[in-house]
Amino acid sequence: MTLAALVLWGVVVGLDATSVAQTMLSRPLVACAVAGAILGHPVEGATLGVVLEIFALLVLPIGAVRYPESGVAGVASTYALVQGGEPELTAVPLLLAAVFALGWERVAGGSVTLLRRCNERLMADAPSRGAVDAGRLERLHLAAIACDAVRAGLVTLVGALAGRWLVSGLAGYWGLGDEAAFRALAIALAMAIGATLSLFGMERKRLVLLLIGVSCGLAILSFR
Amino acid sequence: MVQGSWNYRTLIGGGFGFALLPVLRLVYGRDRERLRAAIERHTALFNCHPYLASLALGAVTALEVEGEDAVVVERFKTALRGSLGMLGDRLVWVGWRPVCLLVGMSISLAGAPWWVGALVFLALYNAGHLALRIWGFRLGLNYPRSIGERLRQAPLVRIQEWLMGAGAFLIGLVLPLVIVGAPARDRLQLASALPESWWWIVGAAGAALGVWLGGRARTIAAVALAAFTVLGLILGLMK
Repeated sequence: MTLAALVLWGVVVGLDATSVAQTMLSRPLVACAVAGAILGHPVEGATLGVVLEIFALLVLPIGAVRYPESGVAGVASTYALVQGGEPELTAVPLLLAAVFALGWERVAGGSVTLLRRCNERLMADAPSRGAVDAGRLERLHLAAIACDAVRAGLVTLVGALAGRWLVSGLAGYWGLGDEAAFRALAIALAMAIGATLSLFGMERKRLVLLLIGVSCGLAILSFR
Repeated sequence: MVQGSWNYRTLIGGGFGFALLPVLRLVYGRDRERLRAAIERHTALFNCHPYLASLALGAVTALEVEGEDAVVVERFKTALRGSLGMLGDRLVWVGWRPVCLLVGMSISLAGAPWWVGALVFLALYNAGHLALRIWGFRLGLNYPRSIGERLRQAPLVRIQEWLMGAGAFLIGLVLPLVIVGAPARDRLQLASALPESWWWIVGAAGAALGVWLGGRARTIAAVALAAFTVLGLILGLMK
């Protein structure tokens, strides 16, 4: 029942990414937190969501570029983390779930490319199969959205099951300790955050603002 | 739903025609042949930023209702295509979205309850998103023949500049929180004291490497993380 609810959430996330609304429910920050809440472990979902979001910041859906789909992969990997990890959240399952998500988002992105090829046949080739009137256009457009829903559901389901199998199977073999797993993740995230600066430019006044931000971040840490 | 049938040949063309259907039915309702021809025209290749598609839809609605010649409407759509795409990409994908996400993430990393960061992000982002869609549709509908001029008058460049500054500040804010790993250390039952001084240097070096690598850093960081994970598993198996 929980898995069915999770797959349904994966469908919403998959549709929100491109086909319907684009209200950003599909961002890992939101998608993983809600997936965690569905599974009864919202803190675990939210923690994984922040990790995946930092990696996803640099992905821009500009033009016809093919990009990894981090939202659906985030939902699947949240299931992997919660069901495949230990009862209490620890660093090793978090690392494994994050690495799995970074791979699975490529698979999910590949399924989006495949869907778009299908849409090409469905929509762009439609005039060659007969005149497109209003009713037919409506049916074709809604059929494309329905295909996207099925795709998102399947990618979530397969990803969730595969991820759980991997995380539960591999976590016991980790040989470097929790602290090393956590620090590896932190350094990769620092790299990804640094790279995000390329979105905003490197002019002098931006660098000044960056340094002011660093000071504020340090102030927050010292008050904690 | 304008991107519902997105494909590599007509891009958002099908969705644009779908969104315009109520208008086309109203204008050509009694003349089936002209309606069919109009649908064919509007489902052809078209692309722009999904949020600014409302601007194009508003303008084409106004032109179709006014009975403008089909060739003129097509030329108008072609002229609008590139500029609305570039404008939306820079304003939303590169500006508004990462800034809102960084706000949400900094709230989460500062130790707020799990739902606050995501909720603040959604509320903030969608306030801007919906405002842009509504503004675009009204602008297109009311001024279809002077869109270029109206867009130049709008303070979009200033907003974009402000977003770039806010983004740089927020990256700076988030960076120390990520290096320390707050508040995840508490949740992961790791020692929550501030890390050793050498760790700050390692973290800063990682961020500097990311700045230097730019867009390539994401893939490199992901591959390095995967490689480290495999190494940790192999070492564990060997024990």
